[in-house]
Amino acid sequence: MRSSPLKTQLAAAGAIHRERHGVEIVSHLGDLRAECRAVREAAALSDFSFLRVFSLPENPGMDVLDALLAGNVPKIRFGRILHTFLADQEGQLAADCYVANNDQEFVFLCESIRPDAELDALLAASGFAAAARDLSADHVVLSLDGFKSWEIVKKLFGADVLGLPYLSIENYSFAGTPIRFIRAGKTSEFGYLLLAPAGIAAQLFAALKTEVEALGGQLAGLDAHDALRLEGRFFNIFREGERVRDPLPLGLQWMIDFEKDPFLGGEAIKQRRAAGVKQKVIGLSAEAGCGDLKTGAKIYSAGQPVGEVVADGFSQVLNQPLALGLFPVQLAFAGLPFQINSPDGPAIRSISMPPIMPRSLTVKLDEM
Amino acid sequence: MWTPTGAAAPQPLEQLILRRGQVIDTFKRELIRRLNLPYLPEDLHEDVSLLGSGLGLDSLDALEIVLCVETCFKIKIPDENISVLRSINTVVDFVLEQREKTGGQA
Repeated sequence: MRSSPLKTQLAAAGAIHRERHGVEIVSHLGDLRAECRAVREAAALSDFSFLRVFSLPENPGMDVLDALLAGNVPKIRFGRILHTFLADQEGQLAADCYVANNDQEFVFLCESIRPDAELDALLAASGFAAAARDLSADHVVLSLDGFKSWEIVKKLFGADVLGLPYLSIENYSFAGTPIRFIRAGKTSEFGYLLLAPAGIAAQLFAALKTEVEALGGQLAGLDAHDALRLEGRFFNIFREGERVRDPLPLGLQWMIDFEKDPFLGGEAIKQRRAAGVKQKVIGLSAEAGCGDLKTGAKIYSAGQPVGEVVADGFSQVLNQPLALGLFPVQLAFAGLPFQINSPDGPAIRSISMPPIMPRSLTVKLDEM
Repeated sequence: MWTPTGAAAPQPLEQLILRRGQVIDTFKRELIRRLNLPYLPEDLHEDVSLLGSGLGLDSLDALEIVLCVETCFKIKIPDENISVLRSINTVVDFVLEQREKTGGQA
């Protein structure tokens, strides 16, 4: 099982680990509510070293990645990041990916629902192994998220950081060591990924943790990120992605360039698209006390089963359960009443997503 | 599985779907046309983020969306109400709410 170079520091801070697809991850730090609140109100630091990270030279990296991924890699402008996915030959999801065009290299980050060996086998299809350097073993990825997280990166890396647009990459240094700095995030608050060599991981982790705590924030585990992604309606491959697998009902068409050259699984996806998508994932909510809105639960309308819950969580902002349900497209509309678990079960409702207004949307970083 | 032609679906549900579906369809088609998006209407999930992640539209595109709503539905989105532009569904919610307020005249 792959573990983070920061496991000792995280365990000392109270992190509870668990296994996910052959990788040891931080599940939580004992208080999910506090971890979520830290992101919404201040800042939180999380270990994202579960990501598979690769560096590829521009040539042949661009062509290699373009033959694998659903998005159009040659169109990525310098310093920018493409959010796309890797599918298998059947066009079923394997990884949620960022591809960053970073000064003569492409940085490729994967949130994979395949164990490392299986992901490597999929990537091997286009000669990937010969071109790519796997950074996963000797680097860490730290995720800094939150309404006030920009204050921390400004302090550590300078005010220039605030000029970076969402989904961009830049090289900075920390303690004299180069690190790759990514503005991204899937919480709907400000978010940054810091990709650093393992040699400075402990020092960088300690510095960020100190600054986060000074702002009233704290460490956060991936359970909190799951809840925050759902609340912000960011696609989560580890929840609805893993359960549904087909990118089309998940609404991931925006990650696909249907006109580009062939890519892994592309033909299967295009055939399903041409046949017409039959199902769609939409948002659901229930009353605060409803404990039935759980993944796998059947959804009923007019006495008949019509759908199934494919991801669930609790919104700390709204103080109510949220979920995603898979419905036939004819019923996949917000604002409809349903029942959960049985024809006479508790009332739930389909909703427009995202259901919250993140505080970060009210801040203009370029004016700070 | 429920089918749209089944007799079990109550009328109010169908009315809700029809009312919302019409606004969604109009908005998506106009959005694709105005922004020259390389997608079919059925490719655009109603929850996809319009700005930033998702479709990744910029501030100029946001202005185009505001004009799109104004042209299609004769409804103005106030400058301060940026939360409306989070997704297609949030835009549609705004349009339907405004129509209710004006008794369907908008």
